[in-house]
Amino acid sequence: MSSRLAPPIRRALLLSSMPVYLLLYAPLALIAIFSFAPAPGGQAASLHWYGALWHEPDVLAALRRSVMLALGSSIFGTGLGTLMGFGLSRFRSRARSGFAAAIPSLIIYTPIIMPSLVFGIADLIFFNLLHKATGLFAAGLLTMGIAHVTFQAPYVALVVFARMSGLDPNLFEASHDLYANGWQSFFHLTVPVIRPAIIGGFLLAFTLSIDDFTISYFTAGPGSTTLPIYIYSAVARKGVAPDINALATLMIATVIGTGLLQYLFTRQKERRPMPRAGD
Amino acid sequence: MDELSDAAGVPMSAITNAPQSGTAERAERLARAWRLWITAGPGLFWIVLFLVLPSMILLAIGFFSIGNYGNPHLPLTLTPIREVAGYSILGWSPANITTILRSLLQAVSAAGLTILLAYPVVFFIIAQPPALRPLLLLFVILPSWTNQVVRTYAWMELLGPGSALSHLAQTLGLLPPHLGLMPGLLAMQIGLTYNYLPYMVVPLYAAAEKLDWSLVEAGRDLYASGARLFWSAVFPQTLPGLLSGIILVAIPAFGDYVVPTLLGGGKSMMIGALIAAQFLQTPNWPYGAALTIFMLIFTCAGLLVFRVMSKRLGSSEGSML
Repeated sequence: MSSRLAPPIRRALLLSSMPVYLLLYAPLALIAIFSFAPAPGGQAASLHWYGALWHEPDVLAALRRSVMLALGSSIFGTGLGTLMGFGLSRFRSRARSGFAAAIPSLIIYTPIIMPSLVFGIADLIFFNLLHKATGLFAAGLLTMGIAHVTFQAPYVALVVFARMSGLDPNLFEASHDLYANGWQSFFHLTVPVIRPAIIGGFLLAFTLSIDDFTISYFTAGPGSTTLPIYIYSAVARKGVAPDINALATLMIATVIGTGLLQYLFTRQKERRPMPRAGD
Repeated sequence: MDELSDAAGVPMSAITNAPQSGTAERAERLARAWRLWITAGPGLFWIVLFLVLPSMILLAIGFFSIGNYGNPHLPLTLTPIREVAGYSILGWSPANITTILRSLLQAVSAAGLTILLAYPVVFFIIAQPPALRPLLLLFVILPSWTNQVVRTYAWMELLGPGSALSHLAQTLGLLPPHLGLMPGLLAMQIGLTYNYLPYMVVPLYAAAEKLDWSLVEAGRDLYASGARLFWSAVFPQTLPGLLSGIILVAIPAFGDYVVPTLLGGGKSMMIGALIAAQFLQTPNWPYGAALTIFMLIFTCAGLLVFRVMSKRLGSSEGSML
């Protein structure tokens, strides 16, 4: 295919796409450069602001909360999502069509399609009313976790469903012939066979949770500031600041480093990188 | 029969004891339905309870009167809807309509800009040897894996009052001194385009990768010009990907919250920030809910157009589950 384009066209494509790559990385590189700003009163580039982060208890607490929230919600979301993907792939009757048969799909796609702002505000109101009525569900890590599970489960279900549709149905019949009952068959056959999808789904759920800002922001309580919320509040309050540059640089480096590592270790033809909902 | 008890729940005897084939069929259908419910049920129930139901409550609030604390109150009324259309105690004002139109315009032009940027990149990647392509695509996507707040913050740094770009604009006389390129409409547009560019590149790449080049060669044999070749042989083939890209960019850009609040500033409000303000600052839930109704109407209209058009183009993307 590479030979199908004439050299002048290829040169034009190179010249027009290099600025786009530059545009994608220049802002991130700039943050990194500014993060080495000199310490107050100093002149030379320094690591001062990285050191300052380490002594900022709020940042460390926010990081800890982000990780806890992501771990907890991913475990739960992966469980619910795996069962959903498995069940819909195995037990939905294909014969029936029409609106009633489409309802499960409609429900699963709702969290994916719903604008995150509407998602966040709907849950804000719902938990608010629930809290007034029952005294439970005060805004905090619990409500954030519930909201996170709600958007993680559908993505996990889609990953598991895709894996299930690639499997030979005879596999399940064979397990039936060996007299495994339903749950035995699920845990001894299905789970091992779809393990890559479950692990992939879990990792996806984890990154979705770590990355989420908008939905977390609206379901968060006073003591549940996560890392993205911490940065947003600091930026909205005082604008550009060197310590935020250092924190942002660490986050960018982590993400890009993990992304590249993931690419190096899982170089398979079928795996095409996908953009992630960053909000 | 093999299909019956292969995976979950119902004991074998319940099925094998079925006396007649008609009853057996019924039992099979029941068994399937039961298994579907215990596996997919909890997840579906969770989504309904924590998203579908809350969204309906939110939409319903749009038809309530406003209470003393901005909370919804009886009686039911159409006042919030009229407020969105611009009618208030002080008479009609175009402010809301302007905000909605501005959001639409920003979303559409963000989609347009990402198209302009994505086509050269996609065909640049396609022109490389196959082994190199995933890596080049990864480099387009990697920035989108960083947090959206961080990505948007980066542009505050680039466009702020003291930045090099702002100095350049001041020297060229495009900008009054001491002001920055941010906050404002331009900054917002750049932020949205930057944030959502990968969502255009990926579906376009998927379409371009499957391109049938024999059409292009046939056109070349007929001495078609380069531009003609692109428009008649290449562009129509990328249309399904382009359509997905427009939806993936325009819908989230329309309702974005982070970019307008950080880069837009007070004068160039977008609908997302306006809605959020009704719940976070001056509480007026019914008005905020009425704005949400409008936002969802636009979102659904966009998706509907997408479905109809992609069906017409014969692509089956998105119909996997």
